[in-house]
Amino acid sequence: MVVRPYNDELKYLEKISDHCWRIKKGFQPNMNVEGCFYVNSRLEQLMLEELKNACRPGAVGGFLPGVKQIANVAALPGIVGRSIGLPDIHSGYGFAIGNMAAFDMDDPLSVVSPGGVGFDINCGVRLLRTNLYEKDVQPVKEQLTQSLFDHIPVGVGSKGIIPMNARDLEEALEMGMDWSLREGYVWAEDKEHCEEYGRMLSADPAKVSSRAKKRGLPQLGTLGAGNHYAEIQVVDEIFDKWSSSKMGIEEKGQVVVMIHSGSRGFGHQVATDALVEMEKAMKRDKIETNDRQLACARIHSVEGQNYLKAMAAAANFAWVNRSSMTFLTRQAFAKMFNTTPDDLDMHVIYDVSHNIAKVENHIVDGKERQLLVHRKGSTRAFPPHHPLIPVDYQLTGQPVLVGGTMGTCSYVLTGTEQGMQETFGSTCHGAGRALSRAKSRRNIDYKQVLGKLEEMGISIRVASPKLVMEEAPESYKDVTDVVDTCHAAGISKKCIKLRPIAVIKG
Amino acid sequence: MLKLKLEALGHPTPNDVVLSNRKEFASTVLWLEDQKIRLYTIEDRAMLRNLDDMKVWEEGYKKYCADLNMPSLETQIEQLTWMLGHAIRLEFLDDPGQYEAFNSEEWGKQDNKKKLTPAPKIQAIFDGKINVQDKDFISGVRALANKLNVPHHPNHLLQLEAVARIVHERLSPAAKNRKPITGTPFPFEKGNDIVSVNDPALDYPMRILRLLQIQSLRELQTQINETIVSVQDLTANPKTDTKLGKVGF
Repeated sequence: MVVRPYNDELKYLEKISDHCWRIKKGFQPNMNVEGCFYVNSRLEQLMLEELKNACRPGAVGGFLPGVKQIANVAALPGIVGRSIGLPDIHSGYGFAIGNMAAFDMDDPLSVVSPGGVGFDINCGVRLLRTNLYEKDVQPVKEQLTQSLFDHIPVGVGSKGIIPMNARDLEEALEMGMDWSLREGYVWAEDKEHCEEYGRMLSADPAKVSSRAKKRGLPQLGTLGAGNHYAEIQVVDEIFDKWSSSKMGIEEKGQVVVMIHSGSRGFGHQVATDALVEMEKAMKRDKIETNDRQLACARIHSVEGQNYLKAMAAAANFAWVNRSSMTFLTRQAFAKMFNTTPDDLDMHVIYDVSHNIAKVENHIVDGKERQLLVHRKGSTRAFPPHHPLIPVDYQLTGQPVLVGGTMGTCSYVLTGTEQGMQETFGSTCHGAGRALSRAKSRRNIDYKQVLGKLEEMGISIRVASPKLVMEEAPESYKDVTDVVDTCHAAGISKKCIKLRPIAVIKG
Repeated sequence: MLKLKLEALGHPTPNDVVLSNRKEFASTVLWLEDQKIRLYTIEDRAMLRNLDDMKVWEEGYKKYCADLNMPSLETQIEQLTWMLGHAIRLEFLDDPGQYEAFNSEEWGKQDNKKKLTPAPKIQAIFDGKINVQDKDFISGVRALANKLNVPHHPNHLLQLEAVARIVHERLSPAAKNRKPITGTPFPFEKGNDIVSVNDPALDYPMRILRLLQIQSLRELQTQINETIVSVQDLTANPKTDTKLGKVGF
């Protein structure tokens, strides 16, 4: 990394609109394209402060600041357009979380980077609606929370309650949500309302190490730990009445369930395996990057293809995982209210991926091109009439589910045409960290966090209370700031605001 | 669309034709007859020329419609649209050679894309059984279309296809027993999707076409879902075993 005094660094940054900054070439060496990031005044401060801290003499260790990471990504071979930072951006492994970048599939030098997808492959959010209202749920809230907690195993090292053997896993990796459908865990309509229809056809379980499979097998149908959660939420505000009614959300107070989870240890192992393989490939193909963490391989190389196929298998794993939890959630609700999930109208509104790389067609410089789009901590947000979004949302644009932090609010947005043009149809994914995990553990007491949630009337069940402070709202940026920035910049449109009444966490 | 047609015919003020005004309509009809259609001799146009006495004009217009063989159309707009189409056709037939280059094949070549002209489906159904170009057949189709208020189309087979759709979607027993759609209707011209702000002639039909496309996609998706469900009847056997469960630390 080039170390310059803070004021010199600022010369490379330029505010081009109220909500967007440009990162000029030269900010980091060998930038092929410019970078940019979306912020409002408050997020802007956080962003620049991070850079300022990194410029202090003697500042070493830890991740590079987010802006630097965006610029390093802009130096990767084959990148097109801009390297884009979304408002919830924060430092991560190689790529910042909240960074999206697209690579030209027709350029033989273009690369794929596991760091651009993240370790929790296809971490994502699914939203189930119900026809219940807050008044129906409040009296039985505690029992319902407990019932959910009993159905969905949570925490580090948790094991699922859906029996699976090695063969089932192989099939699930290949078939994704089609496996859940075949086995009868989900409804046909669920598949329709899922990004990619819940299955990446490029998946090849043979490209996945047996270690990853061994880690993944018992974990299917579990929530995991970290920032993952299942929340019972109520509709707090509706910004776009018409779009929300298309999603089956009619009024304030309606109860929904949000499930935020990923591919667990399986995805982590796939990413780790790929990083090792790619380091060798980089040496062989003489690929230079600014940061060792940006390990990558040419898309059309054996390593690149192996990773994409294994990543697709991990993505399928995550969809099966969320589908299994959908099944368990429906069971818990049906038992609680002595009825069937059908009668509770528990349909999937949508299911989005936060960490994934996908081949998509976009218009670049007036021409249609096939790109490999990396979205890390970023959600796809396609506009109305895009052929890849479900027929029910053709008029509204793709629903974008933005999970907040524990105890704060979440949002549903819709994709816009402007987002398609400016950010390759991508938008924010959540609040985004402000404090590192270690720092949160030092600064915040878990009893305080739990007490505060109780005060707010939120039921909570946690497997490991001592890790809760890592996920305390204080450790994160304000999700409302993030969402408002996306809305004001026009890259997605606010539709619904949700507020939690019960949380289940690892 | 009307504006575009008027422009094509060289109307002096295509932007100012106000259709709600009967007099304006009358003068547009007169202009069409004078300049383009020329069905009557100049002397015969006297009644149509009488714009000061609308009673006389209406009488003349009634006769004129009959002489033009205009199908019975209800509204002013429909009648004018038909007359404009007729005028354009006459204009074209005056010198077809001039427009030879303007065909889909030539344009297709410019786009470097092959375009196939689909034969009307109906033709294939009747092939060899009924002579679809028979006069009686054509007049039968026209009469049926009139009864169902299907707009006129020069190709009677296309018109018959439209008739078939209406019968299938509105009049078949399945359609009659269908539950009425409930929910709040949404004015479709107010969606998030903007086609063209300044050009309602483009915006409006585009929205309608898109809705039709969405409707047929929805039908397809429903069929897919039904297929999945019927397969699920054979394969589904969801199981849970709480003994396997383990909550982490």
